[in-house]
Amino acid sequence: MLLAAVAASAGRRGPELLEELSLSGIGWGALATLVKAVVTLYRGSAPTPLFPLPAARLWALAGGLWILGWILLGLSIRYLASPASAPSLAHGAPLYRKLARYRDFDWGTLLAYGGGVLASELTLILVHTALVTGVRFGKVLETKAEAWQVPPPIAFAISLLIGFAIAFASGFFGAARAKRLATPEATLGLLYLGLPIPLLLTALSANPEAQLRIGYRLREVSYLAGLLGRPELGYWLVYLGLALMMFLGITTGFVATGSGRMDLRSSFELFIARRHVSVFRPRLLLSVLAILLFGIIPPLIVYAIVRAAEAAVEQTRIRMVGLVDPLKATEAQHHWKMREQSPTAMMTTLSVGGVGVGVMALIIVLSVMSGFEADLQQKIIGTNAQVVVSKYADSFSEYREVMGRVRKVKGVVGETPFILNEVMISSGQNISGVIIKGIDPATVGNVTDLPKNILPGGSLDSLSHPEKIIPRPPANSGSPEQAPSAIRTERDPPAPQFQGIIIGRELAGSLHVNLGDRVDIISPLGGELGPQGPVPKSRPFRVAGIFYSGMYEYDAKFVYILLETAQKFFNMEGVSGVEVRVADVDDARRVAKVITEQLDGWPYRTRDWGEMNRNLFSALRLEKLVMGIILTIIVIVAGGLIVATVIMLVLEKRKEIAVLKALGVPDGGIVKIFLTEGLQIGIAGGLLGLLSGLSWCLLIEKIGIKLDPQVYYIPELPVKIEPLQTVIPVLIAVLVTYLASIYPALKASQVEPVEGLRSE
Amino acid sequence: MIGLEVRNLFKSYFLHGKRIDVLRGVSLELAAGELVSLVGASGSGKSTFLHVIGLLDAPAAGEIRFNGRDLFEMSDPAVADFRNRTIGFVFQSHYLLPEFTALENVAMPALIQRWERGAAVRRARELLLRVGLEKRIDHRPGELSGGEAQRVALARALVLKPALLLADEPTGNLDPVTGEGIHQLLREVNRELGITAIVVTHNEALAESMPRRLRLLDGQVFPS
Repeated sequence: MLLAAVAASAGRRGPELLEELSLSGIGWGALATLVKAVVTLYRGSAPTPLFPLPAARLWALAGGLWILGWILLGLSIRYLASPASAPSLAHGAPLYRKLARYRDFDWGTLLAYGGGVLASELTLILVHTALVTGVRFGKVLETKAEAWQVPPPIAFAISLLIGFAIAFASGFFGAARAKRLATPEATLGLLYLGLPIPLLLTALSANPEAQLRIGYRLREVSYLAGLLGRPELGYWLVYLGLALMMFLGITTGFVATGSGRMDLRSSFELFIARRHVSVFRPRLLLSVLAILLFGIIPPLIVYAIVRAAEAAVEQTRIRMVGLVDPLKATEAQHHWKMREQSPTAMMTTLSVGGVGVGVMALIIVLSVMSGFEADLQQKIIGTNAQVVVSKYADSFSEYREVMGRVRKVKGVVGETPFILNEVMISSGQNISGVIIKGIDPATVGNVTDLPKNILPGGSLDSLSHPEKIIPRPPANSGSPEQAPSAIRTERDPPAPQFQGIIIGRELAGSLHVNLGDRVDIISPLGGELGPQGPVPKSRPFRVAGIFYSGMYEYDAKFVYILLETAQKFFNMEGVSGVEVRVADVDDARRVAKVITEQLDGWPYRTRDWGEMNRNLFSALRLEKLVMGIILTIIVIVAGGLIVATVIMLVLEKRKEIAVLKALGVPDGGIVKIFLTEGLQIGIAGGLLGLLSGLSWCLLIEKIGIKLDPQVYYIPELPVKIEPLQTVIPVLIAVLVTYLASIYPALKASQVEPVEGLRSE
Repeated sequence: MIGLEVRNLFKSYFLHGKRIDVLRGVSLELAAGELVSLVGASGSGKSTFLHVIGLLDAPAAGEIRFNGRDLFEMSDPAVADFRNRTIGFVFQSHYLLPEFTALENVAMPALIQRWERGAAVRRARELLLRVGLEKRIDHRPGELSGGEAQRVALARALVLKPALLLADEPTGNLDPVTGEGIHQLLREVNRELGITAIVVTHNEALAESMPRRLRLLDGQVFPS
């Protein structure tokens, strides 16, 4: 449909496309058309037919293939051989009504499932595009500013939610209508009506030319998918999400209507489930929590000691009782034995622990990685600006006027000019290549954290007032026992006055300099003529301050001097650019765009911090995603444990299931009972994982784990607890346990009452 | 007035791969409020017959009507509801749920019906009183004797005042004296509540004490 719409909007080759589409309607024809479409996309616009056949033959071929496929399918079904025998006694009697009424397919349900998944996909795309490009409600709102426009991520979240809701609802109503799971309808619907759009989008993303031609209509969709790095991955993830939601809707619909009417109450089911797996026992919860917090071995040892002591005490008590009244002793012994745990109870504990470990690991790792990201971001933004305005050509001498215009942009809270260059710095025998930055001390504090980062003793002020810098004598002059300041003034001439420079702590260390020491800046640019030709330009500076940003790279590579000094040193009229601070860091990209518009674009350009450090942050984000996926796999493994546990429960409770059915619990009720049992495990494990994960995070935050700053940029393992990141693992755990419990719960509902009652 | 009407019921099961036609066109009519006993040799299909009537098992062919309603026309959820409200089961083994107390077990059908907890428990207490077990209310099935457990099971079957009581050898695991007590109880509730009841039993003497007696032989029901 989308293909047709796109082609129709292109306005040519309509009839051809119609033929292709109708061809795709019959079974394998769809596959052929798809292959053809992909090939066409790859080869470009040249209409080279994939199959050198006339349409009629193509039709015949497709039809033949289709029929062949069905024949193959039909042959592969194994029919049970029915032995030929004489007609039985019941010959001609009316067949059991339920068997006679059996229907294997329901078109309405197929329509609900297939239409639902297609509708959810289309709605997702349309709503997203509409939200991003701006929607107007009727004709009342005319100006562009009034149109409701939202940033892509929020638009995506909204449209995803709407899409999920539609998928869920259609699954729910489809299953409620059929009063069964209707797997064939779901498969057909998801495959035939759900697959084309993600396939189309994938094909689009694989072909740049097609992307250019029709992609602009879906620009916002592909932009978002592009954020993931691999667009097609995004489409398929969304498709999987929709399919998953539909699956959830189907099961929920089946469970809810399994009792004949819409019945979402579950008091009775909860009552039963709570007795079957009593997860919320203090003893169980405490032991799992102990294992999560202290590892497996210490709590096990404690447990063993406690159990042994308990047993010894109890045995002694029984003996004492027995010495008086032997029969009472047997009774006590009986009660003691009744406390033995069943294997299912053990499995339950294990499952809770498994889910807990997964959730805990997810929370800790995500929090640490968020901490890394936040720390890095803070340091990068603190040292560099959030947005940089620069000019493509010429010297940027009209920076004062530009700053005035930038200041007017909403969201800008500070701006400062700067000059950036690379030079050599030397002190005695030590030399290092550094990045030199000319700054304006009056405004730099509005934009970066430099003033805050300067260590006590130095000051930004001394850049403008070099006379305030107290010179320090070279370390090799004067003997240590002499009081330097008093004696120096008498012996030496006063040290010459140089311009001030602020250097990083690591650099100060490697140059062996301190406050008041002299350093030389050497630049190949603007070289002076010496007796033997040009020599690099060199100027002495005096260390006016030492800064510590916590980011090793910066502390070892950055030096700051006065803007005017820098202009003189590099023979510049203007500046390299203007640094800007914005009110909301995450809004920097948008503000940068507005600034560009304000400056009328070329020759000015703006870059935000995310763009300038794109490699670093996308690497971090990818790492986080991968870690998230790996750890989610742990949760899924725990989900496997839950499947095993609930299956064991079902086997153990076969008789009870049969009895409950005989007492009138409908299939849906049985499903609900066992879903609840699985969910209990998931919720208990999720909450315990949350608790222990947060405890670990707080512990790391309080105690701190030392890191090598040269390797990790930062001296200590950072932790940042984000509410969303702590809630999502719990939700994942609950979702996984819910999904894991569906199969065993359905199995439980299929227990025939008679079989359960007979197995005595 | 006809209560239960069974017509031309067929049912087979498989033993060592061989089809055994256990019900061969059983037809039966029971008046509303009638109490009948059903006897027959082991494996003659008494339990199967009861299970089919109780909609726990599917027959191969046949028809069952209860109070004029065709039972095989009902949807699955309606069947569950029917089992819950209209049928009371008592099995040879008590089949009480081990995790729940006697009171909770008796209240179970009412809870399935989504009665309010208090009301269900009150009703269950009444019935436990009726079967003479007021002292055993908070005991679990493991702590009850066979006769007590069977009386709890009977109370559970009666809690929603069913119209049809199906008892499958309720005294099979009990000694004669206790068994006679259970039968006495069955006769009483039949009289008091006007429940249509079929009691399957091995015990010929007990069967004799019922107003109407049936025998299952060669897949057919005969009066005995």
